[in-house]
Amino acid sequence: MKYAFQALMACVFILGGCASTNEHVLDMGDETQLQKRSYQSRVFETSDKERVLRAVISTLQDLGFVIDRADLVLGSVSGTKLEGNQIKITVSVRPKGNDRMTVRANAQFNVKPIEDPKQYQNFFTSLEQSLFLSANAGE
Amino acid sequence: MTSPTTLRVFNTKTCCIIILALLAAGCVEIPKDAFVVTPEQLKQRQIETRRYDGIKEEDLLVACSNTLQDLGYNLDNSETKLGLITASKQRDATNSAQIVAAVVLAMFGTASAIDRDQTIRVSLVVRPVNDSNGKPMTSNFFVRVTFQRIVRRSDNSIYTQTLNDEQLFQDFYDRISKSVFIEAQRL
Repeated sequence: MKYAFQALMACVFILGGCASTNEHVLDMGDETQLQKRSYQSRVFETSDKERVLRAVISTLQDLGFVIDRADLVLGSVSGTKLEGNQIKITVSVRPKGNDRMTVRANAQFNVKPIEDPKQYQNFFTSLEQSLFLSANAGE
Repeated sequence: MTSPTTLRVFNTKTCCIIILALLAAGCVEIPKDAFVVTPEQLKQRQIETRRYDGIKEEDLLVACSNTLQDLGYNLDNSETKLGLITASKQRDATNSAQIVAAVVLAMFGTASAIDRDQTIRVSLVVRPVNDSNGKPMTSNFFVRVTFQRIVRRSDNSIYTQTLNDEQLFQDFYDRISKSVFIEAQRL
């Protein structure tokens, strides 16, 4: 009986980690929207949206992604990487003023959002190499 | 003989292992270098890419799209302004070697799952070659293609794969080249 109680406590402990539907739909984590946006975005010194989008596509292909869809008007590219597990990413490119472009990426690994800023840093470093431009943080 | 004490210890241990396994299942970590381009990936870029000269981007895309249709793919999505075509097809995935292995195992009383069917996904991207000033050229293009497959096994489990066999790309581009030639000649 004693062990049955311990097992029950362990189950409660495990289930305690599960988030509610609302939390999943709105991805309410410990981070604020602004924090997330800041590590998921970089600004590039170019006004050429098409060039940035083509570089994003090349970078994703280099990283082993299959490109699912892209849209020049919307400035978005989505891709999926399948190697035992699954990584999905959406990258959007938007003009910032007249001579700069904001690139924003958000990705998920299997069923979890990727929230490690280092992963996004790596992605933008790879993108810089293919664009021959250096990225600047937000402001 | 197992004494009641050792039996209890064993039970607690099993309990702990099960709990740990449950916890671990929830935390498969993303590979550290998931977004770093490795030298192997750069080599893969060479294998996946071919250059075509003296053709308009639109004509090259049409030639590629025709080839994908020749190969039985259905178009999922495209954005011609960015040179992208995404397509897929569903096919049988059984192969004789696996069936033989499964039959041998079955003779020893062990059931084993075999590949049943698969979805093959392809994305094809055309991008202009840059000249020495870094400006995109108007009649020289790279074509790069990537393939993935999602395989369903006879026990309904699924596994995924990115294809990297050099011969596959060689054969694929042989067909693209033929199609480009036909397109150029307007045959």
